[in-house]
Amino acid sequence: MDKNFAQRRRRDLVVAAAFAVVAALVPLFVKDVYVQNIMVLTLMYAALSQSWNILSGYCGQISLGHALYFGIGAYTTALLFTKFGVLPWFGMLGGGLISALIAMALGYPCFRLRGHYFVIATIVIAEIALLLFQNWNFAGAALGIDIPVRHDSWLTFQFTRSKLPYFYFALVLAAIAWLVTWWLEDSKWGYWWRAVKDNPDAAESLGVVVFNSKMGAAAVSAFLTAVGGSFYAQFVSYIDPESVMGFQFSLLMALPAVLGGIGTLWGPVLGAVILIPLTELTRSFIGGSGRGVDLIVYGTLIVLISLARPEGLVGLFSRRRKEAVR
Amino acid sequence: MTISRRNVLLGATAAAALAPIAARAETSEVVIGLTYPLSGANAQVGVDAQKAYETALDIINKAYDFDLPLAKGEGLPGLGGAKVRLVFADHQSDPQKGRAEAERLITQEKVCAVIGTYQSAVAVTVSQICERYQIPFISADNSSPSLHRRGLKFYFRAAPHDEMYSAAMFDFFDALKKKGTKIETLALFHEDTIFGTDSGNAQLKLANERGYKVVADIKYRSNSPSLSAEVQQLKAANADVLMPSSYTTDGILLVKTMAELGYKPNAIVAQDAGFSEKALYDAVGDKLEGVISRGTFSLDLASKRPMVGKINAMFKEKSGKDFNDLTSRQFMGLIVMADAVNRAKSTDGDKIREALVATDIAGEQTIMPWKRIKFDEMGQNNDADPVLLQYIGGKFVTISPPQAAVAQAVWPMK
Amino acid sequence: MTAETIIQSLASGLLMGLLYGLIAVGLALIFGLMDVVNFAHGEFLMIAMYATFFLFAFFAVDPLLSAPLVAAALFLFGAVVYLLIVRFAVRAKANAGMVQIFSTFGLAIVMRGVAQFFFTPDYRSVTHSWLGGRTVSLGGIFLPVPQLAGAMVAIAAFVGLYFFINRTDFGRALEATREDAGAVALVGIDKNRVFALGWGLGAALVGLAGAIMATFFYIYPDVGASFALIAYVTVALGGFGSVFGAFAGGIIVGLVEATTALILPPSLKSVGIYAVYLLVVFIRPRGLFGSI
Repeated sequence: MDKNFAQRRRRDLVVAAAFAVVAALVPLFVKDVYVQNIMVLTLMYAALSQSWNILSGYCGQISLGHALYFGIGAYTTALLFTKFGVLPWFGMLGGGLISALIAMALGYPCFRLRGHYFVIATIVIAEIALLLFQNWNFAGAALGIDIPVRHDSWLTFQFTRSKLPYFYFALVLAAIAWLVTWWLEDSKWGYWWRAVKDNPDAAESLGVVVFNSKMGAAAVSAFLTAVGGSFYAQFVSYIDPESVMGFQFSLLMALPAVLGGIGTLWGPVLGAVILIPLTELTRSFIGGSGRGVDLIVYGTLIVLISLARPEGLVGLFSRRRKEAVR
Repeated sequence: MTISRRNVLLGATAAAALAPIAARAETSEVVIGLTYPLSGANAQVGVDAQKAYETALDIINKAYDFDLPLAKGEGLPGLGGAKVRLVFADHQSDPQKGRAEAERLITQEKVCAVIGTYQSAVAVTVSQICERYQIPFISADNSSPSLHRRGLKFYFRAAPHDEMYSAAMFDFFDALKKKGTKIETLALFHEDTIFGTDSGNAQLKLANERGYKVVADIKYRSNSPSLSAEVQQLKAANADVLMPSSYTTDGILLVKTMAELGYKPNAIVAQDAGFSEKALYDAVGDKLEGVISRGTFSLDLASKRPMVGKINAMFKEKSGKDFNDLTSRQFMGLIVMADAVNRAKSTDGDKIREALVATDIAGEQTIMPWKRIKFDEMGQNNDADPVLLQYIGGKFVTISPPQAAVAQAVWPMK
Repeated sequence: MTAETIIQSLASGLLMGLLYGLIAVGLALIFGLMDVVNFAHGEFLMIAMYATFFLFAFFAVDPLLSAPLVAAALFLFGAVVYLLIVRFAVRAKANAGMVQIFSTFGLAIVMRGVAQFFFTPDYRSVTHSWLGGRTVSLGGIFLPVPQLAGAMVAIAAFVGLYFFINRTDFGRALEATREDAGAVALVGIDKNRVFALGWGLGAALVGLAGAIMATFFYIYPDVGASFALIAYVTVALGGFGSVFGAFAGGIIVGLVEATTALILPPSLKSVGIYAVYLLVVFIRPRGLFGSI
């Protein structure tokens, strides 16, 4: 079994590398900016969902408030840049660290909560942050922050028309999130989490170390999510509380992992690759009718997939993977 | 993967930045993109907007005997009678989606101009994208004053912004005061998104400048389940004028809650939005006799300018509603844009922009009570005089400014 | 701030709170029965409000009269949702909790889309009703009749529910199924039937709330979203699985909301509710009256 596990991990790494290379080549053939835009979003959501999956999938702490970290990342970058001229790369790091610290501070009281109590706590904490930002005049309150775009530059990470720099950044971010997950699967933490899931009694004996490992997972998850938020701020070059901290956003981060396969290595990527193009295309090509047909299609798919494939769509690809991970 | 990627990346970036938008071929069709919320909480606005734009399209593409740019004759004479085609895109009130849709309209649908967006937050990103692609954008119905102050070259707004609207309200107060009406205290009541925040800021500033006392400045959460606490504070403040900046949902709840808590304000002067929506008057019109709202449009104009009534009838046939403050601005947005494309004799973004800069449409040639349409260097039309309308006997009558007024204001409201 | 302002705020808060309780109790009942949180609860409220509106607009039925009809219709709807969706969601072999959340969440999106498709996104209102627009004044304190009626319906619903669960066969079957679904199968109770009826009952309660709400609130496809989060917090604050907890939770939420609006800017009034929720669960991780 151990040998199989090691083999599978090596294979996963090879497959991921192959995917990354293929993905990196796609924009050379696909020049349409609308399609490129969808690809950027897909990679961004893959990265976000992968980060969410670390805490919610592997650790089993279902968070529907990750928009909090996303928003903090976006706001840190945008505020530092527009108010103090700090380059977004530092803002990205700063936002990530602040989010990680907040995640640990919140994890301390929240990890004692179980099930829906925890889920609702994550929702209301993100809502509180949303309301505070909505009323915080220094951060533009409801007006948000409009990041002026001057000229193409890697230094300020701004590009007027080209999507490619964003595409490659999102690809790297998704790859990092994937690698972190891959590494965690075989780490001490990964073993503890599996042990706790398989055997609740083990949770008692491992109590303290598991608690600490969850704090660690929360920090890593929040850090990566915040980097995603910084990326979003640069990509869209305008943020306001509603669009980076709304509850809707927390759900959107969770959905790819849920549909693809929660607590699995490949679930978030697969989910994002299916879900994001689908939402974008239904909105663009059915949404214009003003009749809500896009919502009906989108919602029906969520219901059907979650009922028909509770283990996620990765189950379609591999039977063995499931048991190894869980 | 490591060596070549960097080169590929830089090369591709440079190529994309340098390449101009492919010259748009001369066609018998001019495509204009519109982006609105067509699903989600504000879908109603988008659906109504579609009808307004279709009405304008009808007038442009078919021959009508109106003294309105492009009404006579079919299509755009400047482009050999080319017809205008509209493409609608749904931004679901999300700035990121608005941005993506604007980009799709420009690159895929090959639109030569964009009009939108209802929400100011979405207008920020849409206008930014238009600037990057050098495609003119008309902000038909966004009233946030911050929008035109961002130094964008391709941004145009024919309609007034919130500071102009608020100034019209204070002009009206000043005039009433001069005649001996007591107006000393104001209560501001605004929602917490861009619209309410901007409007509240503008009103607070004007109140301080002109010596009115703001006895309550209440910012509330939009779409709250209850407004009783807020109304309670308004009631306690009991100002001479209540000035709400609310969308339809909150407007309905505000009026109902005021009635329930026994608060009858002396006068209401509303910053449009919900207070120009039919849905609000259907719901609580009986409690709003005498409410005053700022606006850009007034059906009263039909008596002076018969085409206003006829065009309104065309719109009503499509939508079942009269023109309101939003739909009339949307209508004008497309007329102004199509007029510029016609004069540019081209679908090239720069040429249309130049034509927009040169726009000078007389007020009589619009359906609005405006002096004229002429854009300043920031793309704002400062001659779009707002009007104040009072809701009397189930319809709106213009009460201010004096040159447009058809009736005296009833004050206090009842 | 005068004493009158404070009393009025608290009175309004109490009435709203009872209404929040009535909206939330269906959620609490369903959760107590089978540990499922219905993420389409707000949309159940939305269709109840639409049903009330259409009965009023087409047949001139007053919301007070249509309330039982709406409750009955929602009962059917709830049972059907259980049989068509939730029944399969709880059977999921993997990630059962996740599947429940997202299958009901997907349903919520579909319901909004369907409402927009058939009813258009226009804002609707019940313009006149026996309750709507009336208000009772007690020594300068105004009590709006719709909310007053809502509060009374809420109290009646809680009393009725209490007797129903404790004194009727079906109620005992509900309780028994909730405690041990496996064992009840042995004594010949069809688990699915009990669950379907439980969902029906939960939906019927939100139907009642919707009928009352329609007399004073606007109606549009997304209206449920304004109430959904409050309903979840209400149930969690009171303690999942406790019907009485939802009642108490509603009152607390209403009062906290009113008090916060007196102290902080009103745009932050929900912060008070959320902070109280966090405070309570940090001290008592199972909510105020939670059994599980």
